Amino acid sequence: MTYGITKRIGSIKFSCLSPEEIRKMSAIKVITPDTYDDEGYPYSGGLMDPHMGVIEPGIRCKTCGCKVDECPGHFGHIELALPVIHVGFIKDIKMLLESTCCKCGRLMLSPEQIKDRMDSMEKMEELGGGTIEKKLFTKDTAKDASGKAVCPYCNETQIKIKLDKPTTFREVEDNHKLTPKEVRERLERIPDEDLRALGIDPETCRPEWMVLTVLAVPPVSVRPSITLEAGDKSEDDLTHKLVDVLRINQRLRENRDAGAPQLIVEDLWELLQYHVTTYFDNQTSGIPPARHRSGRPLKTLEQRLKGKEGRFRSNLSGKRVNFSARTVISPDPLLSINDVGVPTFAARELTVPLRVNQYNIEKVREIVRRGPMADKLDFPYVPGANYVIRADGRKIRITERNAEEVAEGLDIGYTVERQLIDGDVVLFNRQPSLHRMSMMAHRVKVMEGKTFRFNLCVCPPYNADFDGDEMNLHVLQSDEARAEARIIMQVQENILSPRYGGPIIGAIHDHITGAYFLTHNNPRFNAEEAANIMFKLDDVPMPEPFIDETTGEKYWTGRQLFSTILPKGFNTSFRANICQCTNRAECKKGNCPNDGYVIIRDGELKCGTIDVKAIGNSKGKILDRIARDYGSERAAQFINQVTRLALGALMNHGFSTGISDEDIPQEALLQIGNNTNEHIDKVTALVDSYRSGTLQQMPGRSLRETLEVSVMKELGEARDEAGDIAGKYLGMDNPAVIMAKAGARGSMLNLSQMAGCVGQQAVRGERLSRGYWDRTLSHFEKGDLGAYARGFCSNSYKSGLTPTEFFFHAMGGREGLVDTAVRTSRSGYMQRRLVSALEDLKLTSDGTVRNTVGTVVQFKYGEDGVDPAKTVRGKAIDLDDLFFEVFGDSAEDFIQDNEKDVGGDYGSLEKDEMEYIEEEGDGEDMDDLDIDYDGGGE
Amino acid sequence: MAKKDTMNALLKRSISEETATLLLTKYSTLSDISAAGESELVELGMTEDEAKSVLSKVGKRAASTSTKTSKKKVEEEVPSAPMEEVTEFYTYNETELRLKDIMKKENIELPMKIIVDIAARIEGHDVPDDKCRELIVRANDMYLRHRMDQNESAGVMAAHSIGEPGTQMNMRTFHYAGVANINVTQGLPRLIEIVDARRIPSTPSMDIPLSGIAAQDENVARLVASNIEMTSILDVATIDTDITNMTLIVRPNMRKMEERHLEVDELVDKLNKVKAVRGMVKLSGYDIVIQSDEPSYKKLQSMYDAVKTAKIKGIDGITRAVLSKTEGYWKIVTEGSNLKEVLNVEGVDAQNVMTNSILEVADVLGIEAARNSIIHEAMGTLGEAGLDVDIRHIMLVADLMTNDGYVKAIGRHGVSGKKSSVLARAAFEITAAHLLHAAMVGEVDHLEGVTENIIVGQPVTLGTGAVNLIYTPKKKGDKE
Repeated sequence: MTYGITKRIGSIKFSCLSPEEIRKMSAIKVITPDTYDDEGYPYSGGLMDPHMGVIEPGIRCKTCGCKVDECPGHFGHIELALPVIHVGFIKDIKMLLESTCCKCGRLMLSPEQIKDRMDSMEKMEELGGGTIEKKLFTKDTAKDASGKAVCPYCNETQIKIKLDKPTTFREVEDNHKLTPKEVRERLERIPDEDLRALGIDPETCRPEWMVLTVLAVPPVSVRPSITLEAGDKSEDDLTHKLVDVLRINQRLRENRDAGAPQLIVEDLWELLQYHVTTYFDNQTSGIPPARHRSGRPLKTLEQRLKGKEGRFRSNLSGKRVNFSARTVISPDPLLSINDVGVPTFAARELTVPLRVNQYNIEKVREIVRRGPMADKLDFPYVPGANYVIRADGRKIRITERNAEEVAEGLDIGYTVERQLIDGDVVLFNRQPSLHRMSMMAHRVKVMEGKTFRFNLCVCPPYNADFDGDEMNLHVLQSDEARAEARIIMQVQENILSPRYGGPIIGAIHDHITGAYFLTHNNPRFNAEEAANIMFKLDDVPMPEPFIDETTGEKYWTGRQLFSTILPKGFNTSFRANICQCTNRAECKKGNCPNDGYVIIRDGELKCGTIDVKAIGNSKGKILDRIARDYGSERAAQFINQVTRLALGALMNHGFSTGISDEDIPQEALLQIGNNTNEHIDKVTALVDSYRSGTLQQMPGRSLRETLEVSVMKELGEARDEAGDIAGKYLGMDNPAVIMAKAGARGSMLNLSQMAGCVGQQAVRGERLSRGYWDRTLSHFEKGDLGAYARGFCSNSYKSGLTPTEFFFHAMGGREGLVDTAVRTSRSGYMQRRLVSALEDLKLTSDGTVRNTVGTVVQFKYGEDGVDPAKTVRGKAIDLDDLFFEVFGDSAEDFIQDNEKDVGGDYGSLEKDEMEYIEEEGDGEDMDDLDIDYDGGGE
Repeated sequence: MAKKDTMNALLKRSISEETATLLLTKYSTLSDISAAGESELVELGMTEDEAKSVLSKVGKRAASTSTKTSKKKVEEEVPSAPMEEVTEFYTYNETELRLKDIMKKENIELPMKIIVDIAARIEGHDVPDDKCRELIVRANDMYLRHRMDQNESAGVMAAHSIGEPGTQMNMRTFHYAGVANINVTQGLPRLIEIVDARRIPSTPSMDIPLSGIAAQDENVARLVASNIEMTSILDVATIDTDITNMTLIVRPNMRKMEERHLEVDELVDKLNKVKAVRGMVKLSGYDIVIQSDEPSYKKLQSMYDAVKTAKIKGIDGITRAVLSKTEGYWKIVTEGSNLKEVLNVEGVDAQNVMTNSILEVADVLGIEAARNSIIHEAMGTLGEAGLDVDIRHIMLVADLMTNDGYVKAIGRHGVSGKKSSVLARAAFEITAAHLLHAAMVGEVDHLEGVTENIIVGQPVTLGTGAVNLIYTPKKKGDKE
C-alpha cells in the first residue's frame, strides 16, 4: 500500500482515432454477428470473443492473460463494407464540404485571407483565448469561405450542398445524393494547411476519419452480458446494436460482391448508416430510435454519457464510496455539538486504518485479537478489527476463528482496519447538500440503539428534523483528511454562516423557552432547584448564593445562574425579542417594563431576558459575539452549556402547550364575532357600491381591481383585529404566547389564526374565484362577490371551519404544496448552474479573486477582502464593539439614531412562513425535476 | 422618407431645388444618382452642364464618402461624441481626514467604509487624538482578523449562499411597488431571471424620480408622466368603422384627452403621420374622420389596425406610468422600460432613474453600471423575501457575469459554457457535443479546474488542495 499521491495527471488530450489506429489497437477483427453458441461459449470472432477481455470470473483474457478486474479490456474492430458517416461530426463535415472546393479540396479563401486568419488565431491563443472563442472564429472563417460560386484556385464551379437530416448530403442542383464514399473522397483532398485555418488539427483529426471505414468495438467489460436467474444471458444494449451493424455489414458485403443491383446495395448501405448512427446516438432527431424487443429504446453511446444518470454526472463527478453508513437520525441534547452518536451496529462495520509500528504493535495486536465481534452490540463497547492488510498489500478478513492467529502474525508495516471508537473524526451529511454546512465533521460517540444522534442545535445547518430523516456518515481514512476535517469542517468551525455573518448553529425551540424561564424577571431558585438546574453542567462551579434578608435562606437568581456560563470580561447590550418597543427612542434600556433590554457587563447578566436574540440560531447576539471574539472552541462550549442550562431551567419549571392555550373567554369570542361581522358588512357595502357604480375608482386600476384591493384590505383588517382581540386575552402566562414572544416557535399570527380568525384564503395573491361559472362553489349564488363566497374564513382553527371554509382553506393549502414542488426543482437547477459557474474561483495570495486559469474576477474580494462569515451583518468590523473597547460604558453616547440596529434579525423567513416551506419527504427527490438540457444545445 | 432625406442632402450640396425634384422623380438615394451616368441624367431633361455639375457634386461626394467611410467615421466620431470620464471622488470631511492622518502615521490601511463609519460616530463629539489613535489601531486589529483566508473557495461559498436561500423563496410572489400597484416579479423567478441575464425581464419596470418643480407639484408631475406613458388612440378615443362611407371615425374622449394633456389637433397631426392613413385624416366637428382612398374593406381593416395601435404620445415600451409620492417628492413608477429615452425626458431626475432591465443598463450606461444593477436587483429581490445574504457574494456573481465587458448569463450559454476545460463543460451540459468538438480540434485539458480534477480523481486546486508541502529528506551523509 502506498501512501500519499506520488503522481499527478498533467493534462489530457482529446483526438479522433484514425482507421489505421483502430486496426492497430484492435485485439481482434469481429466478423460473426453472434455472441454465444448453444453451449454458452463465446464464438471466436464474435462480439463476446475472449480476446476483448473477460467478464466471467475464473477465465483468463486471451490477449493479456489476466483475470477479471485485472484485465482492462481490449478493443476489437469491424471492417465496414462501405464507409458511413459519423453522426456526431455531421455539422463539421457539412462545414468542411461547404467551405472547400469540391474538386481541388482547397479552402475557398485567398492565400492572404488564410494567412490573416491564421495570424488572428495565433494572436487569440497568445491572449489566452479558449476553445470556444476559436470555435466561433473558425465558424466565421468557414462561413466566409462557403457560398462561393467558383473556386479561386481551380476555377471549378461549385455546387451547393444540402444536408438532409440526419446524415445524407445532396447536391442542390441535380438532387444528386452524395454517398459517404464521395464525401470521404472530398474530405481526403483538403490539404493540412487549410485545415489548420479551420481550427482542425490534422495531426489529431483528419476530416476523412469522420467518415468511418472501420468501427471500433468496445471491450466486453464495457458491455457485459448479464446472466439472468433462469440461466439465459441477456446482452447489453451496445452488443445488440453491434450485432445489427455486423449483420447488415455482412449482407452488404455479400450483395456488393455478388454484384447485386445498385438499388439494393444502396438500401443496405443506408441501413448500415442507420445502425451506425443509432449506435452512436439513439436520440438523433429525424430517425426513429432503435428499440429493444420490449419496445424500450436502446441506450447507446451518447445516452451512456449524457444527462444526470450519465457517466459524467453520475460516475465521474460523483462517485460511490466505502466506509459510509446511513440511518435514521434522532436527537440527544446531552451530546456536544461536535459529537455524533453512532450505533454500535454501524461502529462495528465502519473502520479506520491503523498502521502498525513498533510503538503500537502490542495495542493493535490486542484489538485484532478481539476479532470483528459482529454480534456484540451492547455496552460496554470495545473496538475490534475487521481486516488486516499485510505489507505486501494482501487483505485478510478477520473472523472469530482466525483472530488469534492473525494477531500473532501481525508485524510492523501492516495495516489494521480498526472499528470506530469515541473521538474518531467522521463526516456527517444530509441531502440536499445545499451549502457547505450540509456536510460537517463530527466526533464519534458510539452509543446503543440504532440511530445516529446529535445535538439539536445542529439541526438548522443540516435543515434536519426527526420525523424520519436519514443521514449519511463517512469515516475518514487518512491522517491528512482527518486533520483537515477537524480544523476546517468540524461543527464548531461552522457556527458562523458565511451567508450572512451570523450564527447558524444556536439554541432552538425549547432551549429558548428554557432560557426565558431562567432569566425573565430574574426568578429566584432555592438550593434544590438551583442544583437541579445546574447539575448537568460539568465544569461550572455553583456561584455564591444570595441570602434572603427576611427568611435568611440561601437563594440563587436566574441571571446569576446564566452568568456562570458567560466568558469573563464579556460586555454587550441589546434589545431582546420580547421587547415591545417600536423604535430606539422609546426604549427605556435597563428600566424596560418587559425586562426586554439585555445588559451584560464583565460576564454578568445585569438585566434583561435571554431569548432568541441572545442565544438563538441565526439571531443570537451573545452567540455571535462569543463565536467571533472568543473562538470556536469557546463558542461550542457556550452552546453546549447554554442548552443544558436552559433545559435544566425548563425541566424545573415544567412546560407544555395544548389546545386549551387558545381558550379565550366568551366575551372575547363575542367581540371577535361582532368585529368580523362589522367588517363583512363593510365588504357587502363595498360590493353594493361596486354594483351601483358609486365605488370610487383608484388611479391606475380598473373598478373591479379597486373592489378586490379594498375588500382584501378590509378582510385583512378583520383578521388582524380578531388576532389583536384574542391576543389581549392571551397573556404572558400562556405557554403558546411565551413561545411566540420569546421566539422559540410559532408566531402571534399562528395564535390569532387558532384563537381568533383564520382569515382570507388566497390563490395567486387574489381572492378565490375559480370553480363553477361565476362562483366558487355551488353553495353560493352566481356572481356573489361577498366575503364568504370568495374564501374568507371567519372561524378560527379551534372553533372549526365550516365545510365551505374548509374547502377554501384546502385550495389555499394546495397552492403552497404545488409551489414547493416547483420551487425545489427550479432552485436546484439554479444552484447547479451557479456552482458550475463559480466553482473555480478562489482567493489568491495577492488578494485577488481569480479562476483557476488565472483570469482576475475581482481585484479585492468583496472590495475589502473581508470574510463574510466573520463580518457583523455585512460590516467589516463591529463598531459597537470597537467603541466599547475604547470608551467603555460611555460608548453609548456615540450611537446615532440613524444607524441600523446592528445585530438585529439575521435574515431568514419568519417562522410561520417557514412552516409552509418545510420540506416533506426525502431529500433525494430534490432535483428529480432538474431540467437537463443535454442534447438540445445549439 | 428616403426621398425627403435625399432632397435635403441635394439641397445641401447647393443643387437647385428644381434640379433636385427632377432627379428625385427617378432616383431616390444619392448613391443611385451618382451611379447613374451623365447620359442618363441628360435623358431626364437636364443640360449636359447641369448633369456634370450634379454628378460632380453628388458623385464625387458620394464616392469620397464611400471610400473613406471607415476612416472618416473614426475621425469624426471621436470629437463629436467626446467620452467625458465622469469620476467623482469622495471628498473626505474633516473628521475623516483626521483619521486618515493617523492611519498614515501608524502605517495602517483600512477600507474607506470603516473610516467613514467611525468618523460618522465621533462626528460632533470631542474625541482626543490618543483615543482616535486607539480607535484606528483597534479597528485595524479587528479588520485584519476578519480578512478572508488565502485559497478560500470564494466562488463556491457565493454560489451556496445564493442558492441555498433560493429553496426558501416563494415562487409566485408578485409585489406591488408601493401604492402605485405595479406588478413586479419577485422571489425565485426574479432571481433566476437575474442570473440568466435575460434580455427583457418578465416585468420590466422603471423608477423615475423627478427633478425641479415636477418633484413638488402633482400637476407638473402628471404632465411628465403623460410624456412618458405610451398613449395609443384607443386610450383616449373610440374608433368606429363606417362601412357605407368607407371611413373611420375617431371619437376622442375629452376627459381622457385632458388627463393625458392632449389636444385634438395634436391627435390629427400624429394620425396624419401614420403610414397607412397619411394625408387622409381630417377633423370634422369633435370627431376625426379618416376617409379611405380606395373602396376596399381590406384597406379599411388595415387602416383600422394601423390607427388602433398608433402611438400618439410617450415613449415606446412604457405601457403605464403611475405617480407615487415618497418622502414628500413625486416620482413615477412605470410598467415597461426604456432607459435611453426616459433619460431625455424633461423634468426627470436623470441621475437617479432606475430600471430593472439589466441588459438595458449595460447598453445605455455601460458594464460597470450593469454590474451595479445586478447587485442592486439581486440584493433587492433577496431582501424582499426577507433573506439576508452578504453583499460580497452577490458582488462576486455580478463581477463574474460582467467580467468580459458584456453581461454573460450563469449557465451553458454564458459562464459555464465558456470554461476552458472540456471535461468541465462536458460534465455540465451538452456532453457529447463538447467531447466531439474537442476530439476534432485536438483540445488539451490541463486539469486546472475543480470538476476536471474530481473526474480524474485528483485533489482539486482550491483550499487545502492548492498548497503543496515539499519535504526533502536528508541525504544519508548529511549532518544537521
